[in-house]
Amino acid sequence: MPTLLEIALYFILLSLVSVGGIPSVMPEMQRIVVEVKGWMDPAAFTQMFAVAQAAPGPNVLVTALIGWKSAGIAAGLVALAAFCAPAAALTYWVGGYWDRMREAPWRKVFQRTLIPVTVGFVAAGGYVLATPLGLDWRGVLIAGVCALTLFLTRLNPLWLLAGGGVLGYFLYQ
Amino acid sequence: MAPPDYAPPRSLWALYLGFLSIGARSFGGVLPWAHRVLVEEKRWIVPADFAQVLALCQFLPGPNVGNVSVVLGRRWFGARGAVVAFLGLMALPLAWVFALALLYAGYAADPAVRAVVTGAGIAGGGLFIGTALKLARPIARRPWGVAIGIACFAALAIGRVSLFAVLPVALALGWLAARSGRL
Repeated sequence: MPTLLEIALYFILLSLVSVGGIPSVMPEMQRIVVEVKGWMDPAAFTQMFAVAQAAPGPNVLVTALIGWKSAGIAAGLVALAAFCAPAAALTYWVGGYWDRMREAPWRKVFQRTLIPVTVGFVAAGGYVLATPLGLDWRGVLIAGVCALTLFLTRLNPLWLLAGGGVLGYFLYQ
Repeated sequence: MAPPDYAPPRSLWALYLGFLSIGARSFGGVLPWAHRVLVEEKRWIVPADFAQVLALCQFLPGPNVGNVSVVLGRRWFGARGAVVAFLGLMALPLAWVFALALLYAGYAADPAVRAVVTGAGIAGGGLFIGTALKLARPIARRPWGVAIGIACFAALAIGRVSLFAVLPVALALGWLAARSGRL
C-alpha cells in the first residue's frame, strides 16, 4: 500500500501537467496507479471513475476516489489536495498577468499548439477508461455509441452514462 | 465598463454561498452551473469577462472551474477570497462523492451492480473520446494537427508511454507547427 507521501508526490506531478484538466491526465494516472504500482486493477479504476462521474461536482473529485481506493480515506483527501494546490497556486500567480497579454502573439501560438495535444490526451484518457478488460467488443460498442452520440447530437451526457449502465447490466454479467 | 446591475459579491460569506450553490447543483458538469450562478443569478461578472477568465483557466493546468474560483476569489477578496471560493465549490461535491463511493463499496460484491458501474465507466470513457472529436474540429483539415493528435493518442493509449515524456515532445512539435502557420 502506498504511503501518503508517495500519493502526494504523484498527484503534485500530475497537477503540473494537467493542461486541459482531468481528462488529459487520466492516461498517466491510470498508468501509474494500475500498471506501474498495481494499487488497483483496471476494472476498479474505471469503476471509481464512474462513481465520480455519477456524483455532482467537478470531475477533479475522481482523484479523491482513486487515492481512497489506493490507501484509505486520508489518501483520498491528500490526492485531491495535492492535485489541486500546485495548479491553484500557479493560477493565482498567473491570474493577474493574463489579461495584459491578451494581444501577445505567443499567446495565440500557444493556444493553437494546445489543440492537437489536448485532443490526443483526452482521446487516450477515454481509451484507457473504456478498455478496463482489454479491447473487447462490448466496451467498443458502449464507448463508440457514446462518443458518436456526444459528437453528433446535443443529448445531455447524463443520459449516455445511464445508457452505458443499462448496457453494462446486460453485457457484463 | 460593467453595466450598473453587475456588482461583485458583498462579503466573503456571500462568495462562499455562491460557489457552494454551484457545487451543490453541478450534476453532469460544473461549467454550465458556474456560468448560470456567477453571470445570470448573482450577476457578479459580465459574460465577456467570464469568457476571458475561463479561457485563462482552460489554458492553465488544474481543474478548469476550480481555477475560475481561484481567479475570481482573488480578484474580489485577495488570497482569502481565492481559498474561500475554492472550498465553497468543493465542499458539497466532496461529501457526496465519498457518500456515493461508500454506498457503492457496500454493493460492489453484487455482480449486477458492478456490471452497471463498469458500463457507466466505459460510457464515460466514450464521452472523453466524443469530447476529443469536438475539440478536434478546428484542426480537422490541418494534416499536422491530425498527425500530432494521433501520435499523442497512440503514445499514451497504445504505447503506454509516460505523459511526462510525451508532453514536452508534443508541445515542441505543436509549437513548431503552430508558429509556421500549419495549425
